[in-house]
Amino acid sequence: MRERWTSKIGIILAVAGSAIGLGNFLRFPSQAAQNGGGAFMIPYFISLLLLGIPLMWIEWAVGRYGGIFGHGSAPLIFNRLWRHRTAKYFGAIGIFGPIAIFIYYIYIESWLVGYCAFSLTGTLRHHATREGMLAFLQRYQGIGSSRLFLYSYLFFLVTFFVNFAVIYRGLKGGIETLCTIALPILFLFAIIIVVRVLTVGAPNPAHPDWNIYNGMGFLWNPDFSALLNSRVWLAAAGQIFFTLSVGIGVIITYASYLSKGDDIVLSGLTATSLNEFAEVILGASIVIPLAFAFFGHAGAQEVAKSGSFNIGFVTMPLIFSNMSHGMLFAFLWFFLLFLAGLTSSISLLEPAVAFLSDEFSISRKKAVVLIAAATFVLCQFPIFFLARGVMDDIDFWAGSFFLVVFGMVECVLFVWVFGIEKAWDEIHHGAELYVPRFYKFVIKYVTPSFLILILAFWFFQQAVPTFLLRGVPRENVPYIIATRVGLFGMFAAIMVLVRKAYRIKFGESK
Amino acid sequence: MSWSGWIFLILSWGLILGVVIFCVVRALKEPYKDL
Repeated sequence: MRERWTSKIGIILAVAGSAIGLGNFLRFPSQAAQNGGGAFMIPYFISLLLLGIPLMWIEWAVGRYGGIFGHGSAPLIFNRLWRHRTAKYFGAIGIFGPIAIFIYYIYIESWLVGYCAFSLTGTLRHHATREGMLAFLQRYQGIGSSRLFLYSYLFFLVTFFVNFAVIYRGLKGGIETLCTIALPILFLFAIIIVVRVLTVGAPNPAHPDWNIYNGMGFLWNPDFSALLNSRVWLAAAGQIFFTLSVGIGVIITYASYLSKGDDIVLSGLTATSLNEFAEVILGASIVIPLAFAFFGHAGAQEVAKSGSFNIGFVTMPLIFSNMSHGMLFAFLWFFLLFLAGLTSSISLLEPAVAFLSDEFSISRKKAVVLIAAATFVLCQFPIFFLARGVMDDIDFWAGSFFLVVFGMVECVLFVWVFGIEKAWDEIHHGAELYVPRFYKFVIKYVTPSFLILILAFWFFQQAVPTFLLRGVPRENVPYIIATRVGLFGMFAAIMVLVRKAYRIKFGESK
Repeated sequence: MSWSGWIFLILSWGLILGVVIFCVVRALKEPYKDL
């Protein structure tokens, strides 16, 4: 008997928890500031309506449909949608992607635990310059030799254990309980920080124009000329894609624990809106306005371009060090990011757990132990070869490229192969909200076209140069090639398991 | 912050808050029948 969600709010918060991650607080504000400010919200909302929300409903519907047949992961669900021998192998991406993301994401998540501890002990206060804070981060990451790396590894072990302890306890006792506690705490801490940010005023008396309201203006004042740039539209579509956790396979698995008559339209929309609340209202009101108030216009521009890691682990602790009760707010900041990371990382494990327990009929606990052993070994590569660019390479393939590929495959399979009429009926089973009729056209034509467009752009702009190792320092090339061989091996191993699972379930003729 | 910045902020926040409140209230009002 498969597990089920015990409350509607439980699955909504679990899906919202999966979607709300570090990107809501670190990636979105820097993307908005760099791509037209307030004007960025025009392509952002258009992408949300035409790409994000339809894909969200598709994943919920695909997952619930698969769950009726006792499947909780993409491979055999895709096989139900398309009776073709290759369908299940496309679904293998839905297990490979989350696990590959998990093996580096968990390490970043563990930095947050470490920085929570450093906030409480006041260690972060000792680094008064950006260079000092960056050097501290690099020593913590193990770039160069330092005893700090031992702490980093210890915190990794703790974080790893916490993740698997949650997933080991199952759907009700683990995931649902965690998300119903963690999400409200996350929102509460974020609101406290936003209130503090909005009352910061002008912290530098020498620069009264460096204030929080001009900081909000830096983020929200629209630059309409940006709308003429295709890069801005692509950035908005990419942000929507990443922020909603679509194209990973996680929502499919979570929705597979629903019953056929359970609503997915309202639940999907609620999870999406909670994610947008965390991103556009809370996430946008912290980093960039604060950076403007402390470093001015040029400094905020530099921060926006510096990337998520620098914003989270260098700029923010530096700012908190210069605020009254700064270490308390630094703790709240890193703890809320940790909760955002934790609710996302546990969701990344669930497709593999569901695959092993549903298709090989082994207990959930045994599946969790097997996955823990495998991922523990795999995690060592991004940890020990971080400086060699291993993490960035896995992030590109598993966390960007295959996300769009998987999103496109599931969309085409559900809408075009399974059929739009059946798909539309499937979405509306038990619906407590009727999707406007024009969405039938959007789901059938606009969303797949949008995805093909994004994939084509990325393929030529990023995938080809990345594949050809352009810009990779010569000394890192062997490590990057080894990473790709490893990823390919991992994918091949999952394909073998998928084939075996198929034979067990359907007794494929040889 | 310019007036156009305020307009974008108010519209974005208003839209999101409106949808969040509408969805959360309805979702809490109508739990799944068989859960």
